[in-house]
Amino acid sequence: MIRRQMNVVEIENVTKTFGQHVAVNSLTLAVPQGSIYGFIGPNGSGKTTTLRMIMRIYHPDPGAGAIRVLGEMSTTAASDRVGYLPEERGLYKKMKVSEVLRFYAQLKGHRNPNPLIRSWLDRMGLLEYSDKKVEVLSKGMSQKVQFISAVLTEPQLVILDEPFSGLDPVNADVLREAVLELRRKGTTVIFSTHDMAVAEKMCDFIFMIYKGNKVLDGTLNSIQDRYGQDTVRVRVEGDNFDARTIPGVEKVNDFGRLQELRMTPNTNSQMLLSELMKRGRVEHFELTRPSLHDIFVRIARPTAEAMLSTEQSGAAHA
Amino acid sequence: MRKTMIVAVREYLVSVKTKAFVIGLLMMPLMMGGSILVGALMEGRVDTKDKRIAVVDSTGRLFEGLDAAARQRNDSAIFQGEGAARKQTLPRFVLEKVDTGTTDMQRLSLQLSDRIRKGELMAFVLIGPDVIDAGKAPGQSTLDYYSNTPTYNDARQWLTGVLNEQIQQLRLEGAAFDPKVVRQLTQRLPVGNLGLTEMDASGNIIRAVETNQAANFLVPFAMMFLMFMVIMATTTPLLNSTLEEKTQRIAEVLLASIPPFELMVGKLIGIVGVSLTMATVYLTGAYAALNRAGYAQFFPWQSIWWFLGFLCLAVLMYGSIFIAIGAAVSDMKEAQSMMTPVMLMVVSPMFVLQYVIREPASTLSLMMSLFPPATPMLMIIRQTIPPGIPVWQPILGAVLVILMSLVCVFAAGRIFRVGILMQGKGAKISEMFRWALRG
Repeated sequence: MIRRQMNVVEIENVTKTFGQHVAVNSLTLAVPQGSIYGFIGPNGSGKTTTLRMIMRIYHPDPGAGAIRVLGEMSTTAASDRVGYLPEERGLYKKMKVSEVLRFYAQLKGHRNPNPLIRSWLDRMGLLEYSDKKVEVLSKGMSQKVQFISAVLTEPQLVILDEPFSGLDPVNADVLREAVLELRRKGTTVIFSTHDMAVAEKMCDFIFMIYKGNKVLDGTLNSIQDRYGQDTVRVRVEGDNFDARTIPGVEKVNDFGRLQELRMTPNTNSQMLLSELMKRGRVEHFELTRPSLHDIFVRIARPTAEAMLSTEQSGAAHA
Repeated sequence: MRKTMIVAVREYLVSVKTKAFVIGLLMMPLMMGGSILVGALMEGRVDTKDKRIAVVDSTGRLFEGLDAAARQRNDSAIFQGEGAARKQTLPRFVLEKVDTGTTDMQRLSLQLSDRIRKGELMAFVLIGPDVIDAGKAPGQSTLDYYSNTPTYNDARQWLTGVLNEQIQQLRLEGAAFDPKVVRQLTQRLPVGNLGLTEMDASGNIIRAVETNQAANFLVPFAMMFLMFMVIMATTTPLLNSTLEEKTQRIAEVLLASIPPFELMVGKLIGIVGVSLTMATVYLTGAYAALNRAGYAQFFPWQSIWWFLGFLCLAVLMYGSIFIAIGAAVSDMKEAQSMMTPVMLMVVSPMFVLQYVIREPASTLSLMMSLFPPATPMLMIIRQTIPPGIPVWQPILGAVLVILMSLVCVFAAGRIFRVGILMQGKGAKISEMFRWALRG
């Protein structure tokens, strides 16, 4: 009972298949109240399907687990207390901005949304577009309008599918600030992203789904701890410097000025440093845990080709 | 239900605010006003230039009378109005006698044709030598009209009438009959077209009224055509709006707030409202026009509620089918091919229209009007043709249409739910049936 109050979303052993394709496989997940939960994973791996199931747009396979949102088990009605920003923008092009927002707010059961609409448009710098048709908006503007439609009615849970994709840094900052403020007010936020840096910086919890299976779930710290301190960031000045030839280096991520080396287990970092010093002038040497980006790639890369085919067959559903 | 109504109100407002809807509403009065205006403008602008017609009279006995008739027509029949307002509205026919002389007919015909090409003549008539001889079969005696303006029929018609009258007169005289007496004896009588004699409340017998053939045919036809037009104008845009919601991913936002079935029903209710609005505007306009012209008694009050009821059912039936198609396909091109069979169903009453109007009470007409896709339109036709039909027939028809509409709405609801979130290629018809059956 106590647990139910703390978790806004509880997914228990849920499976969702489309024909032969298993989009989500025996997924169990709990999203605590007031947290920001990041969903990551390659395209077509089941993120959007999971989000749509939480939104009750899709229903899990019959007999396979249950989803409880805000303590409710309902399988028919979408909850008015959940806001949703879909991956692709869904706005009526021929309607005025304020009309679309009013329509969406009324569908969420809000009877007098006009003052809220004005204040949100003002905050997003869109007040002058209030009476313009949606079709004249730029991509970033319509993204912000869509965001407003998701959070306008002050839902307890906000689900954002790729909220920051395709935004310029200024607008991305505006949205990020808005998301953080939602959390400060106690709203629980679930968002999916391909931007690992954003996930690392913003999320209290990170969940990674790969080919329909949960592969990561927890705080960034707990996830990184699983991989240990096997990563070294170095900057070495020297001709023909190639870290891949150094014994004990399993993998190199070359960022240009900086290189990230992954050590094989049982490699001594001091040995590595002395090896590096033999090859050039070491300007930077940092023993660190793997980045989320690196962890993501470690999980998803080995079967990049297979992923491509999942992406194609899953595109119709994801 | 509240959310369904919110969807309905949006669908309604968006539809009635479109330019197409406003133009469609204005179309009828515009067209009516326009034809009156054009008629008024054209009236004063008839080409009243003299029409010159050459006559080659091989009998030598017809031209005099023909010319006299032309002069009489030119003096009186081509004017309208009295006194100062008297105005020529038709062209004068000026006849010119051409002697056959020694030229043979073929050459003469060529010469006269050339004069028409030069613009000296409008037409010429060749009257064969034997036309007065009653013993000849009609094919053997020639009476030919030549011109290069085949669509201008007035002169030919006038000539036909006057020449035949004169030939008849000459034939009768030749046979020693008095043409006057013969005319009197052979005069035709019109047959009156009456309704039925009735008895009023106080027992007086009311004489049957003359029926109006035009009204008897036009009213049912107009009612059916209005229904057809409103169905087409309001239901086909549902396909577009559903397709927009699907391709623009609006559906996903909507479905996050409202279950698919309620969403679809909301759209249908909105469109029923649009069609009722449209029908009301048109019917009001039609009544106003009839009333003004003094024909208010022809307005079909007795079947107006049936009309509106059947219209709503037809819109639900066809609207749900169009929504299902919009949800199942991925673009307009795919939609077109699926629309063809539905369109055939909508226009099917048109194919049997003539038969149903002629024999509204026949068993075949009854059977056809109980076929749900055709019921709304055919039932209305049969109801508005006197004496109407027994009331159980439209009731049975309505029950069948309601059942059909329910089947369509539920099947469409299932197709809608599956199709609306599918991206990529559109569904085949077989797939749509599978979704409809399995849910």
